[in-house]
Amino acid sequence: MSDTSASPAPPADDLEPQRHAPSTGRIRWRDSEAWRSVFRHPHLDTPRGRALQSFSNVFLHVYPVKVPARVLKNRYSWRLGFIATVLFTILLVTGVYLMFFYTPTVTSAYGDMQRLRTGVGFGQLVRNVHRWAAHLMVLVVIVHLARVFFAGAYKRPRQFNWVIGVGLLAITLGFSFTGYLLPWDQLSYWAVTVGTNLVSYVPLLGAALRDLLIGGEQIGQATLQRFYALHVAVLPVSLAVLLLVHIWRVRKDGFAVRRGDAGSFAEAASDPGAGVIVPPTTPANADAPRVRLLGVVDQESVTAAEHPADDTVFTWPHLLVRHVVVALGTVAVVLGLGVAFAAPLRAIADPSHTPEPAKAPWYFVGLQELLSKFDPLVAGILVPAGVFIILLALPYVDRNPATEARRRKVAITLFTIMLVTAVTLTIIGALFRGPGWKFIPPWQHSYLEL
Amino acid sequence: MNLSRRRLLETGWKIGGGLLGVIAGWTSWELLRPLKAAGATGKIKVGSPGNFQKDTATYFGQGRFWVVNTSGHIFALSQKCPHLGCRVPFCESSGRFECPCHGTQFDLGGEWISGPSPRGMDQFELSIEDGDLVVDTSKKTDGPDHGARQFYRDPLGPSCAGNG
Repeated sequence: MSDTSASPAPPADDLEPQRHAPSTGRIRWRDSEAWRSVFRHPHLDTPRGRALQSFSNVFLHVYPVKVPARVLKNRYSWRLGFIATVLFTILLVTGVYLMFFYTPTVTSAYGDMQRLRTGVGFGQLVRNVHRWAAHLMVLVVIVHLARVFFAGAYKRPRQFNWVIGVGLLAITLGFSFTGYLLPWDQLSYWAVTVGTNLVSYVPLLGAALRDLLIGGEQIGQATLQRFYALHVAVLPVSLAVLLLVHIWRVRKDGFAVRRGDAGSFAEAASDPGAGVIVPPTTPANADAPRVRLLGVVDQESVTAAEHPADDTVFTWPHLLVRHVVVALGTVAVVLGLGVAFAAPLRAIADPSHTPEPAKAPWYFVGLQELLSKFDPLVAGILVPAGVFIILLALPYVDRNPATEARRRKVAITLFTIMLVTAVTLTIIGALFRGPGWKFIPPWQHSYLEL
Repeated sequence: MNLSRRRLLETGWKIGGGLLGVIAGWTSWELLRPLKAAGATGKIKVGSPGNFQKDTATYFGQGRFWVVNTSGHIFALSQKCPHLGCRVPFCESSGRFECPCHGTQFDLGGEWISGPSPRGMDQFELSIEDGDLVVDTSKKTDGPDHGARQFYRDPLGPSCAGNG
């Protein structure tokens, strides 16, 4: 039987526990006062029982009791938002572990990194996993944003959630960037030097903002301390709060955009009553007068709502099982990458020697490529600020209610051009640039920095 | 003026909230803005002018600057590329400063030759005290604009970054 089918006819509801014969210790324990004080509702395999379990469990309560059956299909979202959340969780767990062994001072940070590799059980693996999860989170959030755009899921009523999503992307980038400095090696020092100097091109306030960010004129102890505080306190709290609102809005807006029969995204986004058909109908007894509370009305004005068959399924177990599988898969991928590829640790940060080439983190290297060709004010400030402003304004500027691709040719073309340009610049900067920013194909020598 | 209590409260909490925001912003700025002492700035004695031979560049890691003698003119050049802050090393083979990050080249006097830097290398104030050159790293002036060619000369040899 397929899980994706509509839920089966509900069995007879029964709030009384379907008590098993108390033959085992497990069952007896579940009947105990202590167990019932934690889990107030026993496991009842009835619709109401499942609903009660969801309502009374803070973790299950993140989900609605029932979700549209279409949500179970992977192609609706590719679970990208959920994968990003899993990666964030992995980063939180591994990050707390790393905090036990790290002191944010220029004299000890690098040594702590070395000690983590050689003197702490699984220290290197945890650092690798943290690093890879961070890279993947940036990637997944960007792909998630692109998918949401192509699905037209930023349109009414989801405009504000799109804006929150763009905010989450900015915080994710901030997370990765602040974390990049913490190992205090040559790679991190010069990547952050390049990145923070971009800020100084902001008109009027540039130098002050840059000094505020790095805590002085040069990257040093104050910078490390500030980046650490941002990385482990300010950004996690900001991201958690925004994520909460984001997920809540996803729930309230009915999850992914509905697809049409032809497979294209075809939900009339502006229709708040999607899924409920209200055709004018003829009363059952056309000859008889209709009596309502406030008087007699003529028959033409009377309508009846026809509700389609229930297309929702229980979140638990249907969606939850899928999420568990995706979460396990994500952990497996990150763990695999962590085992196979070590997080880099170059020589200790040396302000008197810039390595060749000095590249920004991969998600900023497209910007660096642009900076090698254009005025910094244009390439470093106007272009990225313009991209973010366009993204933030998109749902309010694009008033076309259609979500199908064939009716959004202009928006999709422009967004695709923007995306392809960003990807191309990133590939060129990351793979095809060597010392002196000279064009060197990766098959001659790879200067990719991760 | 007819000001109801409701109107007063409605306006009052907005003004109060706004003031609170301004105070919070101001306090944060004062707390987080870097102190002048945080930067590695100050006067650094670099020795007699006679120590710096013609057409040479000498690095002083303590103050992160170069002292150059180009055609008899001595300058203290910041090591920081005006483009994005990378340290600019001196390439002995070409006789030029070459930034490793984006390939900007400067002549020995710190004037811009090519690349994305918006100007020449920044300079620190130089003075003579008791016969010694003193570099004041707290007093920096922007490098010369594009087009300055006072100290330009053709490269002595190949570029260190291989850019020609």
